[in-house]
Amino acid sequence: MLVGLVLLALVLLTVSFRSPTSGALHSAQGWGAAALRPFQVAAERVARPFGDAYDWAAGLASAKSENEKLRKQLRDATATATANADARQQLAELKRLMHYEGLKSFPNDYRAVNTTVISFPGTFAKQVTIAAGSDDGIALNTPVVTADGLIGHVTNVFPKTAQVTLLTDPSSSVPAIDVTHGVTGLIQRGPQGTFILNRVPKDAVVEKGDLIVTRGTVDRRYPDYYPRGIQVGTVLSASPSDIATFLTVQVTPFAQFDSLDAVAALVPAKRK
Amino acid sequence: MSAVDGLKAAALLFVAAILQLSIFSQARVLGGEPDLLLVTLVAVALLRGSLFGAGGGFFGGLILDTGTLSKLGLSSLVLTVAGYWIGRYGETTGRDRRHAPFLSVATITALYSFGVLVVHFVLGEPAPAGAVFRGLLPSIVLNLILTAPTYWLVRRLLRPLDRGDYATEVQLLG
Repeated sequence: MLVGLVLLALVLLTVSFRSPTSGALHSAQGWGAAALRPFQVAAERVARPFGDAYDWAAGLASAKSENEKLRKQLRDATATATANADARQQLAELKRLMHYEGLKSFPNDYRAVNTTVISFPGTFAKQVTIAAGSDDGIALNTPVVTADGLIGHVTNVFPKTAQVTLLTDPSSSVPAIDVTHGVTGLIQRGPQGTFILNRVPKDAVVEKGDLIVTRGTVDRRYPDYYPRGIQVGTVLSASPSDIATFLTVQVTPFAQFDSLDAVAALVPAKRK
Repeated sequence: MSAVDGLKAAALLFVAAILQLSIFSQARVLGGEPDLLLVTLVAVALLRGSLFGAGGGFFGGLILDTGTLSKLGLSSLVLTVAGYWIGRYGETTGRDRRHAPFLSVATITALYSFGVLVVHFVLGEPAPAGAVFRGLLPSIVLNLILTAPTYWLVRRLLRPLDRGDYATEVQLLG
């Protein structure tokens, strides 16, 4: 019996390794995942109040100092929002005058499929399962965000569920731009929960606190998974090194990858 | 051992796999993660032997791989071997020992982590050995904390067998 089960496991492993996103076994896994989904969602809902209670208790310790910090951030953000509203109006006017034909932009050309995370990343796979799939309009490479910022993109899709590979996965690489200084690079996993904005020339100017967002498609022939303008994080430090070819730019992500709960998959909206 | 035992074991492993997917996989402490499915499998295998261990490991692994949408068969492969091995221990030397569940959980947590690491490495996928070994001790401690209540619950549902019910290792003829 042992030999039979081991052989069966090896056959399953071989088939799913050879065709990870299509085929009969993929469909069977999709049905299985759809059948498991109600149980996972129910268990997650039962556990959520306990998790919330723990987070509430843990947050009490730093609530006062955090409140002060957030008030300051709110004042700064209000000032920035006022300036941005004026700039946006001017930009729209200029685009209209120049008959500018733009690419899809975030968030106007996308609709959010709000869903919940039903399985969480482990030591090996930096992937999560979400409770929405192709029936909801999600496709391969659909970007996924939280209220804080970008978390990854869909790498396997089933009718009722989808697998999202997080930015913390070693294979992940996202074209991004420093909106403060216009410097572009690739967001990749860095040390201790941070990211690195890689491939930034040494003579580029990047400063602590700069906002990093997705760069989006530059050339229509090579469309990017992510639309322009999804928040990724802020620059933690930027320093040149004698031995490194590029500037070392560490980025603190906005999204909390260790406590993912509600997420939104960004599905292209139909143009009116 | 009856079909009812099989159904009880399947139900236990199903619930353990769902709880593992939805709750326990979030509870990371010092890089370690409690594994309720593994602890439940150890309890079932110790109480019902190698066949239940191997079958339960395969079944539990299949649910885990389906729920996480990862490669089917990966967890099944390692859990089948783990369940069989613990089952053999339960059928032989570990049968009447009080420390058997704890010893089995500690040992199998280490071997399971190593086994999954090897399979990932062989498949050419990321195999962070450093993270696995750093999280090993916390994982063992977390699993040991789960062992007593889990074994107690499984033992209530699957009463220990008499000596004669276990598979005999050697049969003398003539």
